[in-house]
Amino acid sequence: MDFDWTEEDRAYRARIREFLKKELPSDWDEISRHGPGSREQTEFSLQFCPKLAEAGLLVPHWPQEWGGGDRPTWEHFILGEELWAAGEPRGAQYMNVNWIGPTLMRFGTEEQKRRFIPEMVAGKAIWCQGFSEPNAGSDLASLRTRAERDGDDYVINGTKIWTSYAAMAEHCFLLARAGAGQGKAGIAIFIVPMSTPGIEVRSIPSLIGHGDIHETFFTDVRVPAAARLGEEGEAWSIINYSLANERVGIPRYELSTRVLNDMVSELKQRGDFSDPVVQARAGSAAAACEAARMLVYRTVDMKARGDIVGAEASMARVAVIEADHAVTDFGMEFLPDAFNGRSHPAFLAHHERAIVTGIAAGAAEIQLGLIARHWLDLPKGVH
Amino acid sequence: MRLHPNDDQAMFLSALDQMMQGKSAAWRTSPQWDRYEWSDAFDRELEESGFLDCAIEETLGPVAAAEMTFRLATLPIAVEAAASALLRPKFAADLPRPLAIIESDHAQAIRFLPVARSVLSLGGDSIMSALIEPHAVASVESLYAFPMGVLKKALDWRPLNADPEAVRAQWRVALAAELAGALKGALASVVSHVRERHQFGRPLGSFQAIQHRLAGAATKVEASYWLTLKAAQSGDSIDAALALGYAQDASTKVVYDLHQFMGAMGLTLEHPLHRWTYRARLLRSSLRGSINNLRTVAVERWRAA
Repeated sequence: MDFDWTEEDRAYRARIREFLKKELPSDWDEISRHGPGSREQTEFSLQFCPKLAEAGLLVPHWPQEWGGGDRPTWEHFILGEELWAAGEPRGAQYMNVNWIGPTLMRFGTEEQKRRFIPEMVAGKAIWCQGFSEPNAGSDLASLRTRAERDGDDYVINGTKIWTSYAAMAEHCFLLARAGAGQGKAGIAIFIVPMSTPGIEVRSIPSLIGHGDIHETFFTDVRVPAAARLGEEGEAWSIINYSLANERVGIPRYELSTRVLNDMVSELKQRGDFSDPVVQARAGSAAAACEAARMLVYRTVDMKARGDIVGAEASMARVAVIEADHAVTDFGMEFLPDAFNGRSHPAFLAHHERAIVTGIAAGAAEIQLGLIARHWLDLPKGVH
Repeated sequence: MRLHPNDDQAMFLSALDQMMQGKSAAWRTSPQWDRYEWSDAFDRELEESGFLDCAIEETLGPVAAAEMTFRLATLPIAVEAAASALLRPKFAADLPRPLAIIESDHAQAIRFLPVARSVLSLGGDSIMSALIEPHAVASVESLYAFPMGVLKKALDWRPLNADPEAVRAQWRVALAAELAGALKGALASVVSHVRERHQFGRPLGSFQAIQHRLAGAATKVEASYWLTLKAAQSGDSIDAALALGYAQDASTKVVYDLHQFMGAMGLTLEHPLHRWTYRARLLRSSLRGSINNLRTVAVERWRAA
């Protein structure tokens, strides 16, 4: 076992930091404050990601055939850590890089790959994810949006909700019922251009910033059959594969760590850090961040070795949630006034992201259930 | 970054696992229903194997020593491995073991003292060592699942040529490994109980209220384990205090939950759950407990910030 970074890893990290120092504007914290799905941050990512691409720092882990560099898993992960520490300036585009692109490469037709992948590699593609519905959240398989075959087309009707990035996205990675299959076996994936007639997007005012979440209505939205990704009924196995990628190694604790450091600096400046109670709570928040870091590293290590990551990914997510909350609690307990006004945009941005961590991409309770079943081998429950 | 063992470590750990399956390491019902069990036979086997010196083997190192301490603590019997595996090889190789550790100058009962042949004192400005002479120790009746004892007479203390801070940091790693292992052993025994035990026509472990709390406990135990191994390798005093403080904090809720899910069976002396949980309760207070260890993390980490 070896918990040290190699010289190569350190040099790579230094190169990314250098790049970020040069390319992130001085008002980046203020931009990032608007939240990952906001117009401000999306427009920024469309300036920033092409520069990342130019520097070979957008998809280094992708195969060369598709514009990547075939770089190792840990290197891709270091890139993620540094970008998260900086407040994730890729915005929506982290999704393309982490899972939509790789999913297209594996399951897409030649035409779909040629059409969509080059834009992602160039850092110019914004997608949204049409999964949740008003009556299908954690129980995603009960979704009702329907794609009815009509000659060479599908006609889509239904409502999606909590859709991040919907207002700015060009394409939606949409789940809908198609064909005769029931439950999980009756779902297909469609790549739907958001400019198609019949799509209406409404922003939902929310605690997590303006323009971040939306309701998306599909009324007689007509797409060609070639917009389907995979076969009818295949969606569940495809997204399981994709989300297994999405859920491995998201280094959110790195943002929490940076914000915790800033909170301590602020307390020191105010002369409030000599209080042993404050110190103990700061140590406790730091420990929560490091616990999350180690559990995430474990999943990355497994991925790097080609192992299938199961309940380990759920444990990492649970620990990441606890770290996010520990840092938010620390700030709100000892620096309550820093959450008023605009003097600490990074604290606000962290807080707004932290309140979503336990809900997005599979609620914490779903993760705990997976750990119980697959790590502790407990019998399936009646819920 | 490589979180899996190298070939030598893998071989070492699989040999250790085999030894842990042996008769002398097993949980035995005893007619007196003691609060703890100490196996002279297992202690001798462990010493004679030379495993306890792995920390100074180049290809094994302190990570293997921490991993061994963790695994041995998952046994229901009490094993003196933490001090022997993590402190003795590097700082006090010529002292006979079992080795007891005195953490502070306060007179209090010390774990392993009744079976120990030497003792280290970590509380002062320099680390002191002493051999335990015959009749120097009195056993103390205790809730904690260790052989506990006090010194009856003054020992012949000698200073140890070692940096006290380095010894204390390493001791934190040792305690963290032992605590994480005790929690892991306790968790495994409760998980197997809730798989088997049926109420309302279903296994207890199928109830979501129980599943979620055990899953939360498992997450904290895994995090404690990885933080400990990392601290073992880095030798960094902040990593060490963080690993111990985190495990101590986690143990509070985990221990209560585990007893809760074992029901009345967990109150009996004939079920071994208490052997792990009462060890965890004592380890939780080591080096002044979670709050103080986490405060140490903050003070050291942000000294210059």
